[in-house]
Amino acid sequence: MSNTLHTRRKFLRTSMLGAAASWTLPVFLEKTFFALDALAADAMTQATSGRDDTILVVLQLAGGNDGLNSVVPFVDDAYHRVRPKLALPPDKILKLDSEIGLNPRLTGLKSLYDSGQLAIVQGVGYPNPNRSHFRSAEIWQTASDADRVKNEGWLGRYFDNCCRGAEPTVGVAISEQSPQAFSAKIPTGVTFSHPEQFRWKASMGADGKPLSEEEAFYRQLIGGAEEKPSLAADGNSISSLPGKFHNDATTEDFLRRTALDAQLSSDKILAIARKYKSNVPYPQTPLGASLNLIGRMIAGGLATRVYYASQGGFDTHAGQIGSHDRLMAVVNQAIAAFVADLKQQGNFERVLLMTFSEFGRRVAENANNGTDHGTAAPMFLLGGRVKPGLFGKQPSLTDLDNGDLKFNIDFRSVYASVLDNWLGAPSQLVLGRKFSTLPIV
Amino acid sequence: MLNPLPVERWDDRAAAHLLNRAAFGATPEEIAVTKAKGLAGAVLDLVEPRVSALPFDPPDWAHPRDLRSLRQEARMAKQNGDTTKIREVRKTEADEILDLRRWWMARMATTAAPLLEKMTLFWHGHFATSVEKVKDGYWMWLQNETIRRHALANFAALTKEMSRDPAMMIYLDLPQSRREHPNENWARELMELFTVGLGNYTEQDVRESARAFTGYRLDLVTQRFWFAPNQYDAGPKTFLGRTGNFNGDDIIHFLTKQPACAQFLAKKLCRFFIEEEPSPSLINAVAERLRAHDLEIKPVLREIFSSAEFYSDRVMRAQIKSPTQFIIQSCKLLSCDLPGPRVAQNAMRQMGQILFAPPNVKGWDGGKSWISTSTLLFRNNFANYLINGDAILPPAMKRQGADVGFRGAARAAFVDEIRRNPIDVNRLVSADVRNNAQRLIANLSKRVLQSDPPSDDMAAFTNFLAARKDDSSDATVRGLLHLMMSTPLYQLT
Repeated sequence: MSNTLHTRRKFLRTSMLGAAASWTLPVFLEKTFFALDALAADAMTQATSGRDDTILVVLQLAGGNDGLNSVVPFVDDAYHRVRPKLALPPDKILKLDSEIGLNPRLTGLKSLYDSGQLAIVQGVGYPNPNRSHFRSAEIWQTASDADRVKNEGWLGRYFDNCCRGAEPTVGVAISEQSPQAFSAKIPTGVTFSHPEQFRWKASMGADGKPLSEEEAFYRQLIGGAEEKPSLAADGNSISSLPGKFHNDATTEDFLRRTALDAQLSSDKILAIARKYKSNVPYPQTPLGASLNLIGRMIAGGLATRVYYASQGGFDTHAGQIGSHDRLMAVVNQAIAAFVADLKQQGNFERVLLMTFSEFGRRVAENANNGTDHGTAAPMFLLGGRVKPGLFGKQPSLTDLDNGDLKFNIDFRSVYASVLDNWLGAPSQLVLGRKFSTLPIV
Repeated sequence: MLNPLPVERWDDRAAAHLLNRAAFGATPEEIAVTKAKGLAGAVLDLVEPRVSALPFDPPDWAHPRDLRSLRQEARMAKQNGDTTKIREVRKTEADEILDLRRWWMARMATTAAPLLEKMTLFWHGHFATSVEKVKDGYWMWLQNETIRRHALANFAALTKEMSRDPAMMIYLDLPQSRREHPNENWARELMELFTVGLGNYTEQDVRESARAFTGYRLDLVTQRFWFAPNQYDAGPKTFLGRTGNFNGDDIIHFLTKQPACAQFLAKKLCRFFIEEEPSPSLINAVAERLRAHDLEIKPVLREIFSSAEFYSDRVMRAQIKSPTQFIIQSCKLLSCDLPGPRVAQNAMRQMGQILFAPPNVKGWDGGKSWISTSTLLFRNNFANYLINGDAILPPAMKRQGADVGFRGAARAAFVDEIRRNPIDVNRLVSADVRNNAQRLIANLSKRVLQSDPPSDDMAAFTNFLAARKDDSSDATVRGLLHLMMSTPLYQLT
């Protein structure tokens, strides 16, 4: 399998450039071209062996997480003044220093902080903040300016620019719907919530069992059954390659290649899901299940650089006290289990988990014991090799912009830090311009 | 200019292509009828549908309501912690948009004026507006009807309608635009995405035109547009090099008269109807026709559908079906009912095109962006569901509608809706066709792919039937259909 995937990747790389070459270069130059291409391609293509590269796990807290009740400025009088019902009691806060502490439910994050494996970036936002979930989430997902609409997601642009020819599993989202962050010119990345769903299913026989013959001929149809090690490396021209597909010159070729990609990824994901089970108990929550699945994929060495998971329910306009605490507990328990799992696997050093939410919430509580849409909020980054501590400044609770916090770190600086210093990808290329980086990884 | 298609090239394949692109696909019988009309007759029937074909009742909830009172009530309910009432409000919102999606897809599937629906879909992607922000089913329906009314008519008139369309206004923040603080969102997108495209205006033009669109307001009681003169900036504006006391309609008039506008629109029409990467000469040809017809859409489409360019070998069977096309056309070809509204909505979500909820104001990219490993597998498996019914679903999904984003009563409705019988194979093929492998393949291939299969695919189909050992049961025929609908070729139209 891995040999097939490896040759396939090399083949795609050469064929992609070779497609242009076949009509721009005379045939006798093709060999030279391939030799040059192999060098160029290695510089462009991110390693995705699945065994020793760094891995980013993005955890979305959808709905707008209340930053002030996650990372709490517990000594600030203003906090207690404008949140008479919602302010968390100082004696319950998990203190990080004399002014800032964590929500009492974030016990796992507190121990990570204490062991130097958690970075907290405070006051993260962007200029001219938008308070619509829909639009602000889009801004975070596409890393655009507030007044510019981009279609491709920031991770999609990473795939497009840095992962050409990588396996499609380079990005894996545990979800029903592909996150906008994954949107790319050439769709890359796979999305599923259950491995068993991410597979081609055969039609039904009269006995109520799948028609086994159909799957065999489906594989024949898309070329998966016939793929032999590529001859491209031996310098043969593209047109003499075995199998049915020559390059992506036609849309049908593109579809055939994607179908083959899907089949190979599906086989691999199912095999890993069946073989690897975690020894660590995960909480029985959807987020627990998502991180458990990611843990198994990492254990199985799936060739993935970015995983994506999401937890919803953070839009706490009313009755926030119980609901936000419950959400904090859900996040905390799932992350704690995930970290324990990775440590047991010996993979914690390779993984960086980053949280984000489309905005924080209004500083003052509302009349329904809740909070309305706000702006800046903290982000958590954790992992075996994170540079720990508090970054950025806790924004002032009195110097406000329409009742909302003023951000002091652009979220794209955090993305840039992760791209440059964790994934080893040129952030300027991916984000469209240079953002200053933070010493978080 | 566009070259007319020589009469002798009008054949079954061309007729099928026309019905795939200008409509939502057709059965072999329907293709034969269209072919018999001749090219001119077939195109005329699409662009000038008979009037009797048009009436289609609106959904019964689609009428204006006193939104101000309703929203007041909802606010009160929130304040009083009246969770029953809050849930009721949310449920109404969700039910209406679900029903609107059902209504439009049913209309696409059954209408006798399919080009009108295809163009309405085109404009929905062009003037992209999402219920995620608008949050009102009536306004989304109203926009859909307004678009339909102008879909084949004049682009400048449609654009003016859109500037007063409540859903569009909310989507691009127009009601918040005040004389002292003009909101530039609508003005910017009007130029960048709706008329002339980047590079054909300046930031100064954005600021000046935003002033021209001040005073546009919505009445929440009648749910209608109104104009507030005291919020309107009547002063002189300098726009695209001219100075005058321009209003919003003047701005749209100037923009649609720009040569860049026809160019911009031509490219989008080419991408939607002809090919993903149209050549500059093709775009120029269509733009020239748009200008010649003063941005009247109908005569231009008529010329496109009669052109040799539209029927070239490179163009035919080379466009990736949108998720909408995939579902509607699959049900037509299988002669089966559309899936239930919740099932369809869920499938559309997973395939990446939720009607009335485009990802952003740019609409759907289309083309290759529809296809990822996940969406392609989903398409194959969804075809399987259409063919074989709920038997292929994992038991957990049937029992509890797991992981489909529905809760409570909606989940129960989903579980109920997902029940589906296998298709009736006898409606597609007769007994004598079934018993002959070659005829069966030829017959179903003509239905599903509108052609004979390519030789490699043919081999897979033949080998499959051979492996079934001449069993011609319903299960085998369904298996063959599913195999055909899993080919890369089936994703194309």
